[in-house]
Amino acid sequence: MTELQPLSQLQETDELSLNVQEMQFWLDKAVAWGQADSPDTRKDTCRHLSRLRNFLQQILTQINNTSSTAEIMKKFPLLGQFLGRLCWNPYVTVGETSRQLLFQCILGLYTEHPSNAVEKKANQWIQKVLCQLATEDDVAVQALTKHMGVPAKEYHVKVLQKMVMWLKENVENNHSSQSEVNQSILSGSEVFVPLATFPEASPVIGALLQQPMTSISDSLNEDFFDALSSSQSRYGLQLEKQALVSLWCHSLPSLEEAVLSLLKSVTCSGSAAPQNLEHQVTKSFLPEACAQHCSIFLVVSDIFRSVLKQNETSQPVRSVVQTVTRCVLRELSLLQPQTSLKDFFPQSPSSLLVPLLTMPSEMPQEALNNHLKWLSSSLQRLAEDGDEGCSTRGRHHLFEAWFLLVQCAHWVQMAVQLLVTSKPEDRDPLLWLLTFYHHPTNKWHQRALQLVRVREAWDHLHTLFSASVFPVPAAHLQPLITLLSVKPQQPSPAPSLTLDLLVHFAVFCRLKLNVSASILQTVVDLSGLRDGAACVLSSLHLRVQEGSCFKSGDVHLRIRELQKTITQMN
Amino acid sequence: MEAVLKNVSVTVELLAVAARSNAVSQWDEQTLSRAFHWAKYCEHIYSRFHNNTAIRRVMEQQLQITNQSLRHVFPGYSHVSFSDLRRCQHVLLVGLLNNPELPITIMKTLFKTPVNIINNDFEDVTGICSHLIRCKSACKVLRPLSALSAVGADAEVQGEMLMERLGAMLSQGNELCRVEHFLCSVLQDSEGAVQHMCLVIAAALLTAKGSAEQTASQDFLLEWLQSRHNLLHNLCTMLPSAILKELAKGHQKFRDSFCHMLKKWATEMEYSITEGEWINNSTNTTVTFQKLTEFFLLLFEACPSVRRNTEEEMRLFKISDGDFDVQGLSVWGDLLSELNK
Repeated sequence: MTELQPLSQLQETDELSLNVQEMQFWLDKAVAWGQADSPDTRKDTCRHLSRLRNFLQQILTQINNTSSTAEIMKKFPLLGQFLGRLCWNPYVTVGETSRQLLFQCILGLYTEHPSNAVEKKANQWIQKVLCQLATEDDVAVQALTKHMGVPAKEYHVKVLQKMVMWLKENVENNHSSQSEVNQSILSGSEVFVPLATFPEASPVIGALLQQPMTSISDSLNEDFFDALSSSQSRYGLQLEKQALVSLWCHSLPSLEEAVLSLLKSVTCSGSAAPQNLEHQVTKSFLPEACAQHCSIFLVVSDIFRSVLKQNETSQPVRSVVQTVTRCVLRELSLLQPQTSLKDFFPQSPSSLLVPLLTMPSEMPQEALNNHLKWLSSSLQRLAEDGDEGCSTRGRHHLFEAWFLLVQCAHWVQMAVQLLVTSKPEDRDPLLWLLTFYHHPTNKWHQRALQLVRVREAWDHLHTLFSASVFPVPAAHLQPLITLLSVKPQQPSPAPSLTLDLLVHFAVFCRLKLNVSASILQTVVDLSGLRDGAACVLSSLHLRVQEGSCFKSGDVHLRIRELQKTITQMN
Repeated sequence: MEAVLKNVSVTVELLAVAARSNAVSQWDEQTLSRAFHWAKYCEHIYSRFHNNTAIRRVMEQQLQITNQSLRHVFPGYSHVSFSDLRRCQHVLLVGLLNNPELPITIMKTLFKTPVNIINNDFEDVTGICSHLIRCKSACKVLRPLSALSAVGADAEVQGEMLMERLGAMLSQGNELCRVEHFLCSVLQDSEGAVQHMCLVIAAALLTAKGSAEQTASQDFLLEWLQSRHNLLHNLCTMLPSAILKELAKGHQKFRDSFCHMLKKWATEMEYSITEGEWINNSTNTTVTFQKLTEFFLLLFEACPSVRRNTEEEMRLFKISDGDFDVQGLSVWGDLLSELNK
């Protein structure tokens, strides 16, 4: 004789009694919803949809965990009635998840080999209900579709399209928000909550979103925006650009969702190809939204800040930040808004703002080196105040300066390029800048050590690419390879920094192309960084095409040849 | 051609098996998919050949043979015609769902929610029913919101379908009585949905006159209407006035029929001294004098040119009634005075 019930059984009975009461509640709801099709019942249905989904999920779990239909019907005699009523409620059957759950519950009650009357009846009922749902139509529709020979699906899709178009036109031509038609649409607009997952309804939803704030804010509620933001990615709801912008203005979660999904798609794709990055960024419509609404840009920047704080050394994230900023600035120049740039970058150190936002192509070539030297020394000063152990304010300023640098990383790329042709005495400020970009936090004053290593790398590269003895003996290449293949834990410059330098040296040095290529090929081969090198070459190629670095005639050619060399390796 | 006929015949047999035989209990997803493939093939055959009278006749002959043999096998079998082939997949689906032997796995496949719903074609049979139900539900959800649109989306789509069908039938050189028969059977089968049918016919007549074919179909419909007094009567009494106006504006024939009907109603009126107004005593209409006046005003608003002639006619009738200016003696006189208030 058991003295204590096993814990699991206790839990089950708890769950059970909860469900029985809940079942009555939901059944009463379903009955009420089915009785009258009034605006109030519609509102009530739409408000309860997400809770209903949770309840259906609970029922489904219960059905799956119960061994026989007879048993579950004994525990919950109202179940069949409840599910049956829900089937005829279009607000439940129009939403993807609720419909799926509902059908799964019903089909879950089917018994393959019914052993008693309850199960046999259940089987019959299941087939009857589902058949009716799928094939029944009202008398006129059935007669007409039969005589015209039009399949039911085609008919309903056409009707739906017509209704959506009519609604869209009426919402758009909303000259007077007092018009009877518009009042009826807006007052009934909670129906768009379950339709948020319905791609065919996007024209109307888009039109609604683009209505002026005042008329929407009363009617389109939280539920609607929640439903929209979660259905964006899953159901391919294709909203027009302006509708998306409007959605982001109204709903912070959907903006966050959009930014995070952009980051995810870039960082998760195997090799983030540079040419795809800009395409993905523009495709997301985020730059245009940011340019139209300063507030959106500020939110996006904040999201980037927090992602970067957790992920300082992630180059893909930094690239996204840079690309988004570049696209936003481009859109801004097209829009020519009244707001000044300062409003878009309120937290950035003002002395650095214009110097960093200026593009290298906007300055004469001779001035570039001095400009970078100045940037480097300004940042170094901030770093002295902002490193570990300094005031919070100092650290904050330093972070903002670094963040602005990431947003304007074209200067970092310029620095790498200039390092190729720098004289040894000029290289330090540029190297410092690079080190700072890749490792902004100076934990345990490691920056000094990192700087030593990066100087080493530069020295090696400088020697290598100005050597007069060819082919270069393997021993000379070894230190460089060691530097490239080092694990990230050690306080050494991230492989990407050294790799960047290597590729830029190969492209911009004065050596003959085939010599350059063979050095690059050997080093990359031996350190296993073919993909990384190809990536750097691609982005360099893009920059050269855009004209952001100075085009000397054969830079193009050199890059293409090096790309070929790398890809021909196996 | 032989191969095509054979394939169509086989698919029709498949439809019968799907609907009536217990062989479906052995069906799996692959069988299901193949069945729908064949049904789709028949739909394709229909769209290729429905305008080709010669081939159509051959097909119909073949179908007759197939239908006959199936009647022997399945009692209560309802035959499949060539025009049914246009909705072959739907016929298959309905048959399957009504077949008590349908295995649960097939049901589950049909009612699953497919992952990619954007380009859901019958290519993949998964989720056909789910998709259908979701469309129907969306229509139900949106219908109350679009209740203020003129005829309503349903009537509009059905009107377009009607036009298309009429156009097809007429261009195939069908005998006119056959087309009329078609219209009559549509009407008969929607018994009980009279108001809706009126909306459909109105929508059909109001579809923009694009092609010569469309004009021909509308003309045919109007001719047919002229002989259907009951329907015409229902149209006039059940349609919203805005739509009546559009119809009168757009179609001479309708205007004439409408005017003719109004005049007929007027002649049927008798003055009741107890009630102090004109009443229509015939059993087949409930039009009041008030309503009659409104109708005339509507007609005149829609077509101002009609006003002069009609009023002139009324004046002549009034004269023949004695030309008294006292209320209650001539319906025409009273109408004229109401209309010119």
